[in-house]
Amino acid sequence: MLKLLKEIFRTGEATVKYPFAPMPVCKDFRGKPEHKAEDCIACAACTVACPANAIQMETDTAAGSRTWSINYGRCVFCGRCEESCPTGAIRLSDDFELAVGSKADLTRKAVFTLADCACCGKPFAPAKEVDYVARLLSQSARSAEEADRLRLTAATCPACKRAQDVHHIAGMGIARQMEAGLSKTGKPAKELETTP
Amino acid sequence: MNVPVDPKTLVAEMSPVSTSEQIATMKKALLKNIQRSAYVYRVDCGGCNGCEIEIFSSITPVFDAERFGIKVVASPRHADILLFTGAVTRSMRMPALRAYEAAPDPKIVVSYGACGCTGGIFHDLYCVWGGTDNIVPVDVYIPGCPPTPAATIHGFAVALGLLEQKLKAETHVEAAGETAALPHPDIPYALRVRLEREARRMAGYRQGRDIAEEFMALLEGHAHTPGSFSLSERMLEAIGEERDPRRAEIIGRLAEVVQQAIRGETP
Repeated sequence: MLKLLKEIFRTGEATVKYPFAPMPVCKDFRGKPEHKAEDCIACAACTVACPANAIQMETDTAAGSRTWSINYGRCVFCGRCEESCPTGAIRLSDDFELAVGSKADLTRKAVFTLADCACCGKPFAPAKEVDYVARLLSQSARSAEEADRLRLTAATCPACKRAQDVHHIAGMGIARQMEAGLSKTGKPAKELETTP
Repeated sequence: MNVPVDPKTLVAEMSPVSTSEQIATMKKALLKNIQRSAYVYRVDCGGCNGCEIEIFSSITPVFDAERFGIKVVASPRHADILLFTGAVTRSMRMPALRAYEAAPDPKIVVSYGACGCTGGIFHDLYCVWGGTDNIVPVDVYIPGCPPTPAATIHGFAVALGLLEQKLKAETHVEAAGETAALPHPDIPYALRVRLEREARRMAGYRQGRDIAEEFMALLEGHAHTPGSFSLSERMLEAIGEERDPRRAEIIGRLAEVVQQAIRGETP
């Protein structure tokens, strides 16, 4: 009996104090993903990485906005979003108290504006992302001219870039291919003249 | 002939279970004045059993949900709280509804785990209903994959009205002129990428990034306070202070990368 009592006193209380005292969690605990919308550039890397599609993005070109949303009810707390985030805007926190009464409280949204293409004027990418890329590129530029050129490249939409490339390449190629065509058949190839 | 079939026409849609007003008032009265134990019946609707393991660990002596009178019972006829786990597969729909009907009114329905809340990672699978709320009215959602025992206790406290929920729906709208800060503007971009890549190669994605961040803070600290220390001395000091030999090795390797970059060598 005495031995048992001794054992009980030695062991102490095993039960945690949790609801009455905060629960300590271990290092690198994967809790609720905390999104800092100020640092987010809406690049959609987390959206692609999320295996459960808890993080989703919707682009509305008519309104010129992109809506980022996370559903904590669908999240499996794998931490892929945190790994893929280029700016560190999303990070898994220590918070595990996620129980809610209504399902609507499980979602969190952030609305970002889209930037217009410098060439065609259509919205194509989030303004923050364009700005971030432009600053990152001009950081490693060697001259002010190059920085301006890179900034313009970042602010141009892929379709316009492609069109410019085609134009550029076609302009380069015509002279060279005309020479080749003339030397072989004596007249220039027809289709080359119609390229933009 | 391949005529596209609308999948909704293949499923017999049944109207979700609705509760009458009388039962709603009874439930309110129960929550306001519950002066006895709350019995829990656990309904497994096709989960992976991760949630069940966490439920059982929350009734062990360490978390001890029974000190609040929360007791897991073997029959839905004894239950006050029904705990639905799993993404509700097609074949578990009827048993889940039978358990719901068998429990006496007023009953509290708790949707447990990511699968129970929204279908989780299985939300768009052909053979699941995608969440408990598609078949029965749910009172409390406990997300998590699986929820930790502490989260389970918090969820029960929310279900019984003892604690307030912490999460609220929020919408952040981008302010005019809002820009994301450029990380480590003093370190050349090419070097930053090399450091992050090396750290992540050695320590994994998340820890690698943390170590690279720490290291770059050290580099920037050197740039801002040029003292009598040289860069390599400073690195050696940081490596010497590190207790964990694995981290020390990674920091040593990162220091090498910096020296390589200074000498102009390409990796």
